[in-house]
Amino acid sequence: MPLLEARQLTKRFPGVVALNGVSFDLHPGEVHALCGENGAGKSTLIKTLSGIHPLGSYEGEIRVDDRPVSFRSLQDAEAAGIAVIYQELALVEEMSVAENIFLGHEPRRGPWVDWDEVRVRAVRLLEQFRIQLDPDIPVRELGVGQKQLVEIVKALAKKSRILILDEPTAALAETEVAILLGILRELRSAGVGCIYISHKLGEVMSLADRITVLRDGASITTVKASEADIPGIIRHMVGREIKDLFPRDRPASVGPVLLSVRNLDAAPDSESSARLTGIGFDVRAGEVLGIGGLMGAGRSETLMHLFGAWGTRLSGEVELGGRRYDLPAPGESIRRGLVMVTDDRKRYGLHLEQPIGYNLSLSSLDQVTRNGLLDEAAETLLDQGFFDALRIKAPGLDAVVGGLSGGNQQKVVIGKALMTDPRVVFLDEPTRGIDVAAKLEVYQLINRLTAEGRAVVLVSSELPELMGMSDRIVMLHEGTVGGTFLPAEYDPERLMAAAMGRTPVAED
Amino acid sequence: MPAMLGVIWIFFALVSPQFLSARNLSMLLIELSITATLAVGILLVLIPGHTDLSVGAGAGLLGGIASVLVFRLGWPAPAALLLSLGVGLLLYLGMGAFIVRYRIQAFIVTLGAMLAFRGGFWLVIRSVTTPVVRGGESNLYSLLTTYYLPPFAGLLLAVLVCGVLAIVTVRGRRRRQAAGASVEPGELAFLRTFAGAQGILLVVLVCNQYRGLPLAFLILCAVAVSIHVLTRHTPFGRYLYAIGGNEEAAVVSGIPTRRTVTTAFLILGGIVAVTGFMATAYSGASTTTVGDLMELDAIAACVIGGTSLKGGRGSVLGALFGALIMASLLNGMTLLSVLPETKYIVRGLVLVFAVWMDVSFRRR
Repeated sequence: MPLLEARQLTKRFPGVVALNGVSFDLHPGEVHALCGENGAGKSTLIKTLSGIHPLGSYEGEIRVDDRPVSFRSLQDAEAAGIAVIYQELALVEEMSVAENIFLGHEPRRGPWVDWDEVRVRAVRLLEQFRIQLDPDIPVRELGVGQKQLVEIVKALAKKSRILILDEPTAALAETEVAILLGILRELRSAGVGCIYISHKLGEVMSLADRITVLRDGASITTVKASEADIPGIIRHMVGREIKDLFPRDRPASVGPVLLSVRNLDAAPDSESSARLTGIGFDVRAGEVLGIGGLMGAGRSETLMHLFGAWGTRLSGEVELGGRRYDLPAPGESIRRGLVMVTDDRKRYGLHLEQPIGYNLSLSSLDQVTRNGLLDEAAETLLDQGFFDALRIKAPGLDAVVGGLSGGNQQKVVIGKALMTDPRVVFLDEPTRGIDVAAKLEVYQLINRLTAEGRAVVLVSSELPELMGMSDRIVMLHEGTVGGTFLPAEYDPERLMAAAMGRTPVAED
Repeated sequence: MPAMLGVIWIFFALVSPQFLSARNLSMLLIELSITATLAVGILLVLIPGHTDLSVGAGAGLLGGIASVLVFRLGWPAPAALLLSLGVGLLLYLGMGAFIVRYRIQAFIVTLGAMLAFRGGFWLVIRSVTTPVVRGGESNLYSLLTTYYLPPFAGLLLAVLVCGVLAIVTVRGRRRRQAAGASVEPGELAFLRTFAGAQGILLVVLVCNQYRGLPLAFLILCAVAVSIHVLTRHTPFGRYLYAIGGNEEAAVVSGIPTRRTVTTAFLILGGIVAVTGFMATAYSGASTTTVGDLMELDAIAACVIGGTSLKGGRGSVLGALFGALIMASLLNGMTLLSVLPETKYIVRGLVLVFAVWMDVSFRRR
């Protein structure tokens, strides 16, 4: 008997059919993965199953334990044992781990919250899943990966039997992914059903029991993971074959050094101790330098610092375009030809409530200002050029960015950066949470940038992507360089060893 | 919002025949000018997500400085106004720089400034009524709210403005078309321009029935047009919205956030001074109550006009509408000799009601 079953779900939005007669079921103790490009209907399906799209706004039937249910809200779905863990975390930063786990359903003694019980039960849950977290520290001090784990424990504390995980590992480093997958396997034996959404197909193949592929709002196929292969899944997702996942055109020769970093030490602020120590690398025109490392190794901090948006420099020599660059600031960096696409596009990259055109030109208004006034005609022309070149899928420049899919939002952020005509481009996790087709477009864009003689610094948590796209890789470990590798030396184990701070062992 | 304004106007017109008289409308226009100028100024700091509670007290203080210079020290009015304007610019520049440099909430800093300005104001005028002019003559200061543009000059100005409006519209369309961008249909553009011109002419004709266009209203127009252009057609304006919408993204986009916000406060300082001069001139003298609660009227006007106190949203046109609603209410109720107690209650209720309507329409 299925735990959860959806029959012939159809959900229409003005002008689009987001779900077109999708059927789906989930058995106890099963991990059922949902794959599909952005806009394929995964989010809509989840929102319908979890009551965010209330009864009456869709056609079809949802059944839990073989009985029809009618969810009017998220709370109804939660009462039926369904918990959703979103990409955007819903934790209260100032509260402790334990408080967050029991937020909204605190154990009580009479009218008062029983704080001892909160703590005891939190400790028990954390131990049960072997998560090493202090229940008393505020969530704001945790990394993204740890927050994700708290979020899952929070769902389990509600005795949820159906977990829906939307891209849970998108922001996690490899070790954290391992912990998470371990927890999910444990839940499976406890009879919990999981709906698992991820763009990382390797993970899906190793974890899921069954895989359902959605495309354009329709369910294309449901297969047993043991009988599926990744190229086959991708073929179903995009409706065509993608031969080479990482189409890097490695340059025959590279140009002069555009960015040189030597012995860089930096701290979050002048009162703290150094978080980055002795960082050094060169980036040449026409090449892609990959930067890898575990979560918290200082990858984003390194880029943000060089760009001028993080921390204070304690020592070190940085040269940008052959000139010393000691006091970086974003505006000055952009003027000198260094631009950054941050990993958290909603926080650092976009003005979600504003139209595409506004976002695209925000860093480049100097180019379209005449006598102090904006030349809106010239601006529109410039925006339209990037809109077309990046193949942003939207009705037009006036469409509000918040309504676009992740891949298209990312294109807007990249377009904003490229409009400044940079020599050096920092890309921090540029393919996080975007679909296969959009990823491919980002890789092609990287090739085009280096072919034009620009330099790219690529930070990625995914080793295959890093190895596939970089001409050299620097692995960071706890704020310092753990190792630098040329393509001939690429080997996942050696890269990971460098990331863990172990000296790579010679193989023979 | 226009509907709400319509209801208010029709109501007052029905219960008080004087409401629509040329004389009263001229008075309303002067009162509007004072509130609206300040509202448009405070909009500059509301858009990037800051606020300013000190503008009412600041207006009183800066008006007071000018009054004392003129009445007690015998300075010529232009010099007194200029010096006081300079003081206003300096005070708000300092306040803005302090807020962005030390990251202290504008609410706190300007609350402190409000108290300090109020005390400074009373100190400056020694808590006695200080006229804006010596011995019943008139000077530039007193003329701010008593001078009217002669009817013929008003008409000429109106025609000139309409002409400029038409030229700007046509040239803007040509440039967009030349760049290959989309333009609204010609009929719509014509209608929009035509309606605007009609409005301008109507205001002038009504005012000419009394004494002509009030100087205060011309000051409002100049300030409003400048701020409109500044917010909508310059990089500075874009940056204000960007900072209010998502400050972290604004920083990473290379926007000089500190300089932008400090500049907004600096410009506000100038506008506070001008508003202070008009408000003081309107009451004829600096009294201890000039500027009382003006900051709340200004913020209320912006909010009624769709400005978000969280930043990132708001427009000059909205603020003008909001100010017109607040000024009309006050003017109408004064005509009807409504008790001051009732006036406050009604204004408070209308503020909340207007914002509630705005929010519920937006949600649809």
